[in-house]
Amino acid sequence: MPLEALGAAGLPIAVGLPAAAGLPFESVYLRSIVAVSLYVSVTAVVLSTVVSLPIAVALGFSDFPGRRFLAAVITTGMGFPSVVVGLLVLFAVSNQGPLGTFDLVFTREAMIVSQFVLATPPITAISLAAIGGVGTDVRDAARVLGGTKVDVALVTLKEARYGIATAILAGFGRAISEVGSVLIVGGNIAGSDGVSKTRTLTTAIQLEARQGRYDTALVLGAVLVVLVLIVNAVVVRIGDEGVMQ
Amino acid sequence: MILRAVDVSVAFEGEPVLDGLSLGVETGEVVAVIGPSGVGKTTLLRVLALSTRPDEGTMEVDGVDAWAADEAERLALRRRIGMVFQEASLFDASVARNVEYGLRVRRPWRDRLGEGLRSLGRSEEPAAAVREALAVVGMGDELDQPAQSLSGGEAQRVSFARALAYEPDVLLLDEPTSDLDPRNTAVIEDAVGEARDRGIGVVVATHDMHQAERVADRVGVLLGSDLVEVGPTATVFGDPSDGRTRKFISGELVY
Amino acid sequence: MSIQRREFLATIGGGALAGLAGCSAVTGGQQAQPGVAGETLTLTTTTSTYDTGLLDALNAPFEDMYGVTVDSVAQGTGAALETARAGDSDVVMVHARSLEDEFMQGGYGINRRDLMFNDFVIVGPEGDPAGIEDMSSAAEAFATIAEAEAPFVSRGDNSGTHTKELVVWDEAGVEPGGAWYQETGQGMGAVLNIAHEQGAYTLSDRGTYLSQRSEIDVGILVQGPIGGGPELLANPYGIIAVNPAVHPDVNYDLAMAYIGYVTSPQGQDVIEGYRANGEQLFFPRALSEDPDFQQYVPEGWSSDAGDS
Repeated sequence: MPLEALGAAGLPIAVGLPAAAGLPFESVYLRSIVAVSLYVSVTAVVLSTVVSLPIAVALGFSDFPGRRFLAAVITTGMGFPSVVVGLLVLFAVSNQGPLGTFDLVFTREAMIVSQFVLATPPITAISLAAIGGVGTDVRDAARVLGGTKVDVALVTLKEARYGIATAILAGFGRAISEVGSVLIVGGNIAGSDGVSKTRTLTTAIQLEARQGRYDTALVLGAVLVVLVLIVNAVVVRIGDEGVMQ
Repeated sequence: MILRAVDVSVAFEGEPVLDGLSLGVETGEVVAVIGPSGVGKTTLLRVLALSTRPDEGTMEVDGVDAWAADEAERLALRRRIGMVFQEASLFDASVARNVEYGLRVRRPWRDRLGEGLRSLGRSEEPAAAVREALAVVGMGDELDQPAQSLSGGEAQRVSFARALAYEPDVLLLDEPTSDLDPRNTAVIEDAVGEARDRGIGVVVATHDMHQAERVADRVGVLLGSDLVEVGPTATVFGDPSDGRTRKFISGELVY
Repeated sequence: MSIQRREFLATIGGGALAGLAGCSAVTGGQQAQPGVAGETLTLTTTTSTYDTGLLDALNAPFEDMYGVTVDSVAQGTGAALETARAGDSDVVMVHARSLEDEFMQGGYGINRRDLMFNDFVIVGPEGDPAGIEDMSSAAEAFATIAEAEAPFVSRGDNSGTHTKELVVWDEAGVEPGGAWYQETGQGMGAVLNIAHEQGAYTLSDRGTYLSQRSEIDVGILVQGPIGGGPELLANPYGIIAVNPAVHPDVNYDLAMAYIGYVTSPQGQDVIEGYRANGEQLFFPRALSEDPDFQQYVPEGWSSDAGDS
C-alpha cells in the first residue's frame, strides 16, 4: 500500500518538479513525452507478451522441427544491439522499403515495432526458464483431471506467473530505456507547441545531451527512473493480488 | 463394468511391463492392485486413466472402445475418470481453486471467460460440490488456505477432494497413502469407502497388503508383467489359487 | 535569359504565388479551407536550426495559417539529405552547399532557395595557446593550430559544420589527424562542452555558440563574416523540396507552400526577429532586389556546359 501511494504521488511530483525547479519545461511537454514513452513501450510489451508466452510454452514442452533454431534465435536476440534493430526497421518501413506503403516512418507505430523486436527475446527466454521449472507432476495432474492441452498450458502459465512477471518487467525495462532504435525510426519529433509526436524520455535526454545541457538531461533521467519504479511496483502488486490466481 | 482393460500390453524399450492383462471395475466397488514396488502398477493405472495408450489390447469405458474413438469422444471419456497420485501435485493456488479445477475445465469456454472476468471484481463463492468434496476428506474449513502451506497429509487429502469434486464414474488412486501418517491414511481410506458408497468404481494401487485387506472388495495381484490372480479379497488373501500369489503374500506377511 | 531559367523562375514565382494565394484566402476570411489542411509536412534538417529554437518559432505561424503540422526531424545535414533521398521527407533545410548540390545533381531535389545565413566562428580556450586570435584568414588559423598540434575537437558527423570544417582544412592544405585532433560524432552543443572541458579549439556556428554562451567559457578567436572576419566562414542555409517525379508519395504541394512561406517577407521577418539570449542568430537571405540566380542551381553550373 505505501508503495502505491508513493507511486500515485510520485508521478505528478516528478512531472511538476522540473517546472518548479525553474527548468525550461512546460508540463505539457514533459507530460507528452512521458505519454509517448509509455504508449510505445507498454504497447510493445503487451504485444510481445502475447506472442512470447505461447512460444515459450511450445519451446518448453513440445518438439517440433526448427525448435533448436528458434531457441538459438531467441538467445541471440537477447543481445542484439538496439541500434541495429532500428536500422533494420527503418529500412523496412522506409518509402523505399518493403513496408513503405504503410507510411510508418517517423511514427510511434514504427517505434512500437522496433521495441517489440527488442523486448520479445528477453520476455520469451525468461518466461521459458520459469515455465520449464513447472513440475511435470503438476502438468500431469492438470491433464489427468480432464484438462485439454490449452488448460494444461494455462495451468503451466499460472504456476510460472512470478517468473513470467519478471520476464515482462525485464522486457519493459529494455523497451523503455531504449534510445538508439526509437531515435532512428521515430525521428525525435515534437511539435512547435511542445507536444511530443515521437519524442520519448530517452530521446529527449539524448537531445539535451547533444546540446550539452547535461543538468536538464539528468532531470529527465530521474523522471524515467521514477516511471520504471512505478511500473515495477504496479506489476508486482498485480501479481500478489488474486487477479493472476 | 464401468471401466475395463482387455488384454492390454505395454512395453518400454523392448521390456514388457504389462503383458496381456485384463482388469475391470464395477460401479460401487473397490479393486486393489497389489504387487512389489516398481512392478508396473503405475503404468497399469495410467492405461486405465486413458493417459497411456497400450501397445496391444483395448480399453473400454462404459462399453466404449476408448482408443478407437476420436479425440473429442476420448476426452469426454477421460473426463469421467479421476486420479490421485502418490504426490499431491496441487496447483500454486488456494485449496478451493485446486478442488474446483476439474469442475472449471468441464465448463464451456464462454462461461469460463465470464467467470474469469467476474472474479476480477470480487471473489466468487466456491461451488457446493467443492465444499462437499472437501468435507469428505475433513478439509472443509481450509477453503482459502494456499495449497503450498499445507502439510503432506493435508495436501493429499485435498488432492483426493480435487478428483472427487467433479463426480467421476471411476477413481484411480496410485499409492495414495505411502507417504502419510496413520491418521491421514485413515482419512483417505474412509474417503475411499465414501466414494464407493456413492457408486464410484475405485481402483487403488498399493504395496500395503493390509490396506488392500481393509478397503478392497476385490484384489488383483501384479507380479512380473502378469496379473496372476484377481478375485474377492478374502479369497486372494485366504485361499489364493495361484502359487505365486501364495508365495508373494506369505513373503510379504513375514515382513 | 535561357529557357530553363525562365521555367525555374516561373515555377518559383508560381509556387510563391500559390503559397501567398493560400495565405490571403485564409487571412481574407473566406470559408474555403486550403487543400492541404490537416496534412503533415516532414522536414528533415540540421541540428542547429532546431536546437536554437528557430524552427519552433518559424513553423508555428505556418501551421496556424494552413492548419497543418510540421514534423521537424533534426538529424544533421548528411542524414537529412539521405532521408530525403529515400523519400521519407518532403523538404530539407540544410547548410552544406556541396552536399546540397550533390543532392540536386542526383535529381532528388528541386526548387532550391537560399533561406538565411549566419556564420562560423573559431573558438578556443582562454590564453589562446596557438596564437590565432584575430587572424583574418580562417585557413591560416587552422594551419597554425595544426602546426602547434593544439587540441581540436571536430564534429566528425557529416553535418554542415563538419563539411565546412573540412573545406577550411582543405584550404589550409592540411590533412587533420593525430592525437590532437578528436572526431567526436556529437552535436554542436556537446562538442562545445567538450572543447570547454578540454581547453580545445573548435569550429562552431555562431547561432549555437551564442545560445550556449551563458553555460560555457570558450571565446571567439576568429570571427566569421558577420563579425568582420573572412568570407570562408560564411554559413548559408538552403531549403530544397524533394522531387515528386522521383518520389510520388511526398507532399510536394505542402513542401512548396512551406518554401513559399519561409522565403516570404513574413517568414524572413520571423527569421530576422529571432533572438536567443538577446542575440540575433540568423540573417535572412531569400529576398533581394538584385537577382541571385546561383541559388537555384548547383554552384558553378552553367547552361553552356556539356551536362546539366
